[in-house]
Amino acid sequence: MTAPLLETRGVWQRFGGLVANSDVSISVGRGEIVGLIGPNGAGKSTLFNLIAGVLPPTQGTIWFDGEDVTALPAAERCVRGVARTFQVVKSFETMTVIDNVIVGALMRNTVMRVARRKAHEVLEFCGLAARANVLASDLVPSEKRRLEVARALATEPKLLLLDECLTGLTPIEAQTGVELVRKVRDTGVTILMVEHVMEIVMPLVDRAIVLDLGKVLVEGKPKDVVRDPKVITAYLGDRHAVGA
Amino acid sequence: MGLLYGLIAVGLALIFGLMDVVNFAHGEFLMLAMYASFFLFAFFAIDPLLAAPLVAAALFVFGAVVYLLIVRFAVRAKANTGMVQIFSTFGLAIVMRGVAQFFFTPDYRSVTHPWLGGKTISIGGIFLPQPQLIGAAVAMAAFGGLYFFINRTDFGRALEATREDAGAVALVGIDKNRVFALGWGLGAALVGLAGAIMSIFFYIYPDVGASFALIAYVTVALGGFGSVFGAFAGGIIVGLVEATTALILPPSLKSVGIYAVYLLVVFVRPRGLFGSM
Amino acid sequence: MDTDFANRRRRDLIVAFCLAAIAAVVPLFVKDVYVQNIMVLTLMYGALSQSWNILSGYCGQISLGHALYFGLGAYTTTILFTKFGVLPWFGMIGGGLISAVIAMALGYPCFRLRGHYFAIATIVIAEIALLLIQNWEWAGAALGITIPMSSDSWLKFQFARSKLPYFYFALGLVCVAWFVTWWLEDSKWGYWWRAVKDNPEAAESLGVVVFNSKMGAAAVSAFLTAVGGAFYAQFVSYIDPESVMGFHFSLLMALPAVLGGIGTLWGPMLGAVILIPVTELTRSFIGGSGRGVDLIVYGGLIIAISLARPQGLVSLFTPKRKEATR
Repeated sequence: MTAPLLETRGVWQRFGGLVANSDVSISVGRGEIVGLIGPNGAGKSTLFNLIAGVLPPTQGTIWFDGEDVTALPAAERCVRGVARTFQVVKSFETMTVIDNVIVGALMRNTVMRVARRKAHEVLEFCGLAARANVLASDLVPSEKRRLEVARALATEPKLLLLDECLTGLTPIEAQTGVELVRKVRDTGVTILMVEHVMEIVMPLVDRAIVLDLGKVLVEGKPKDVVRDPKVITAYLGDRHAVGA
Repeated sequence: MGLLYGLIAVGLALIFGLMDVVNFAHGEFLMLAMYASFFLFAFFAIDPLLAAPLVAAALFVFGAVVYLLIVRFAVRAKANTGMVQIFSTFGLAIVMRGVAQFFFTPDYRSVTHPWLGGKTISIGGIFLPQPQLIGAAVAMAAFGGLYFFINRTDFGRALEATREDAGAVALVGIDKNRVFALGWGLGAALVGLAGAIMSIFFYIYPDVGASFALIAYVTVALGGFGSVFGAFAGGIIVGLVEATTALILPPSLKSVGIYAVYLLVVFVRPRGLFGSM
Repeated sequence: MDTDFANRRRRDLIVAFCLAAIAAVVPLFVKDVYVQNIMVLTLMYGALSQSWNILSGYCGQISLGHALYFGLGAYTTTILFTKFGVLPWFGMIGGGLISAVIAMALGYPCFRLRGHYFAIATIVIAEIALLLIQNWEWAGAALGITIPMSSDSWLKFQFARSKLPYFYFALGLVCVAWFVTWWLEDSKWGYWWRAVKDNPEAAESLGVVVFNSKMGAAAVSAFLTAVGGAFYAQFVSYIDPESVMGFHFSLLMALPAVLGGIGTLWGPMLGAVILIPVTELTRSFIGGSGRGVDLIVYGGLIIAISLARPQGLVSLFTPKRKEATR
């Protein structure tokens, strides 16, 4: 593998006395689909936000495409090629679907005509073309998730960050989502996805990173990770105890 | 003076804290209260201090009605919710001012108080106008009452609960609209109390509300929207700042000090001094 | 779909052109000075509201202090003309630029504030400016400044006998404000502004620099408002702080847009066409200043529209349009 696309080196995040991430060093190689998983409160979302540039880490550095991006705000990272979706969907509700995507497309194309064409292509790719002129607020939840992906893709990212974009969907919707993620990877986009439900992610990802209590617990092939006793106690064990 | 600002502001803060709505007609509520107090005095010779509870009661009803007729629908608006809230209460303010001009004429009126007017009292060599002192005392009492009310009574707890989670409250069987209406009534009653007291030492005219309203918003925002204690503290700060600026700058510029302090505070702490949100 | 969109844009442009052409010939038939006066005011408020709409409607930053820029425009031209003999034409541009710069300087701290905190900060800043000017002797203090009238002149932009030149200037201003909005609506800025209004965090994640977007909107909006203020000063040829910088002006600028439809291309103009004549007429019919009926009508309209049609009157026309684009 060549130099990784994304790397966090010894990243810490503290909120007051609470340590959300401690000494997290992970890397994502080009063309990979990496799953970031872990039980509730493991620090997945915090790490995700650090990578997306919502807030700077307390300590440590974040490298993207061979460049130190630790100090860059979200918008600047988007220019470098990092795009994201939100766990709680944040569509531009008063704008139409196509207009939502145009906002993303304007990132690389400042000529309106080109941006518009690009947005149509992306909608087609994500299977939302038929809904182009509907207000974003009128979409059903699964469509909103896809709109988030479309909007992010329109910025022509190298790395796409997906925040629980498959959670809360019906099995059929989730399956369509999985196919979309594969399709996106096939276009050469690297994907880092945070997911809470293991069953959905494991068949999809090339590599899984398990966080627990703010630290990297295990990292490796999905089939190895699910068998790892540490993961079973921290995650599945915990879940089985509570759930079943 | 600061305590009275606080009293006006607390009503505003209460409403905001309850349902995230800024009542831009708050100044006009004050104007209405001052007129009410004036007419009670002029026609029935009721002393404004005695009239204060009556005015507060009247304003309570008025506030609740305003909520039921206007605000209830404004918060439900499907589009532009923020704008709708601002401009529907602004519209109400304009209407109230128009009505006041129509019925009361734009003339300045004042209450000549039988036994308080113009008297001063000397405390440790400092002369203080007596009406303002009484006002301050009433304001303190009102704060005490409000504090007790919010923390110790069932209704106060219902207010607090609704504020935190209106949906959950509905499940427990509390009628959200009733609580909000009562909240508006209470907020209006507080400003009614302030208005009745202020009618003793301020001229009364249709636009009188506007000059106090802005200070009230500043007071509330200074303390942090939604914090009743913040509004009280904000009121005191505003009163002090006003008094201090009056020493340095010409009287026509006295509000500049208040505004400047406000801007300073929110630029440093965008949530106000005690605001959470 | 693309062609539908282009068609709609073109249709907007054609409709605007036709309306402007019709408006241009109206005063040739309507000679009544009173009516002409109302028409000038309507056009002016239309233009002002259109400018306000750029910052508050499209970008979602509700400003209730636009009187500041209006007053700055009025004062800059007037002072430049009366004290230094600079022609109003340059004063207008100068006032516009000064306002734009000040808007950005104020935006620097203000745009960190959200919601009500922002709205109240804008009121407070305008109010401070008002108080300062009221106490500034050199600028006429509370008494204001009268622009000396000489002969009718395009150069000095003053006309004692006829309202027509003012009318055409106001019409021109509306057209400029409308066209700027039309042009920005389908530009990078227009999309960024609406994204910022709907969800700043999501906008940021898509590479939109939220802060710069707000600054851009503030500058354009303040510039146009100030030009409107400069025009008003010439039109009434007398300015004083309360009448050009008072809080009511900030409201008067916002209300047509609220009535017609916030953040829409046609809303401010539609709102002004309804609101201004209605209030002017009630004022003169029900007679006597100070009786407040105009206020009641005005406020009543605003409440009614806020509650019944929060998207503004323009939305009455959009359902048809939506079907056309589908």
